[in-house]
Amino acid sequence: MAAPKGGPDAGGMPDPIHQFDLHRIVPLNLFGWDVSFTNSSAYMVLVVLLSVGFFMIATRARALVPGRLQSVAEITYEFVADMLRQNTGKEGMKYFPFVFALFIFIFVGNMLGMIPGAFTVTSHLVVTAALACMVFLTVLMVGLAKNGFRFLKLFVPSGVPWYVLPLVTLIEVISFLARPLSHSVRLFANMLAGHITLKVFSGFVVMLLGAGTFAVLSPLPLLMVVAITALEVLVAFLQAYVFTMLTCIYLNDALHPGH
Amino acid sequence: MSDPPDKHGRAPGDMTPRERAEFEGRLSDLGGRLDRVKAQRDADAQTDLDAEMRGRGMAYGMRMAVDLVAAVFVGGLIGWGLDWVLGSRPWLLLLFFLLGFAAGILNVMRTYQRMQREFAARTGGNMGHSVPHDD
Repeated sequence: MAAPKGGPDAGGMPDPIHQFDLHRIVPLNLFGWDVSFTNSSAYMVLVVLLSVGFFMIATRARALVPGRLQSVAEITYEFVADMLRQNTGKEGMKYFPFVFALFIFIFVGNMLGMIPGAFTVTSHLVVTAALACMVFLTVLMVGLAKNGFRFLKLFVPSGVPWYVLPLVTLIEVISFLARPLSHSVRLFANMLAGHITLKVFSGFVVMLLGAGTFAVLSPLPLLMVVAITALEVLVAFLQAYVFTMLTCIYLNDALHPGH
Repeated sequence: MSDPPDKHGRAPGDMTPRERAEFEGRLSDLGGRLDRVKAQRDADAQTDLDAEMRGRGMAYGMRMAVDLVAAVFVGGLIGWGLDWVLGSRPWLLLLFFLLGFAAGILNVMRTYQRMQREFAARTGGNMGHSVPHDD
């Protein structure tokens, strides 16, 4: 997120929010709904193309002894598969394509956002909320389809005296309903905050450079930007990991309720 | 035991006292070098584990903070909605706000338990910063 990209506004102060602006690339209107193809949609398509392209090229050789690219693909597979297996057991592997696609989409989206000037798809709540709702509804449907009413045991913990049971059940229901919110807000807020921080510090560099003798101080925020960029790369991976991990944990609740 | 004598006319096992001293020196030197390599490898493994656990710890920390707030928010939202439907403002909002808080605490406690189990399994009970091996 190079500072000049921020487009200085009237005060000469770079605008840290500018990077999240949406533009219509192909305006579309469907039954009164604005479903335009925006820069966000373009980046989502790019994320999908990049991930699919990478895995197609990486696994093209199908070598028994993997080459470099194939190793990366296999390590990624193992990473997600292990996570899923550890959290849900063997039955969970049925949902591997879903979980793997989620992880790759979020990870590539986060990493693409780290390229200066690029748009970060996961920095919009509507995107992460859609992903989280997808997980929430999947868990709900899988849980009800697999276990029927036994799924509701998730809300009634065993070993609780009857007189506090209604209260505990209510608390459990709230805790369950809060899942999609925390699931989506965590990813969105981390990406948003990180990118704003980067932008603000980059803005300091530009402002100090234009402030006469204070320009000698400008390397300081620049150092900060370098350090924060490294941190943000870590956060980009961690958030994809956390999102996928929680998906696995929620899936486990759907497959084995009442444990 | 019938190795051919080398070009100095000696059996391979024979050494002059000086050669033997050098050889012993090399031998003990090798032991020391091996120990150093082993210690370095252990230290590297410990550093890797530390870094991994730090990453996992960060991941858990991020989870807990948002888990707590989200439950309070959702609790408040449910109470507000019920108040709106039943016209009992503000009592259900207050009640569900508190229930949401309880749900948040419950989430955090569950996450912490899970974290403790996972970390204990990963590090063999040696949580926190690295402790040098003294065996």
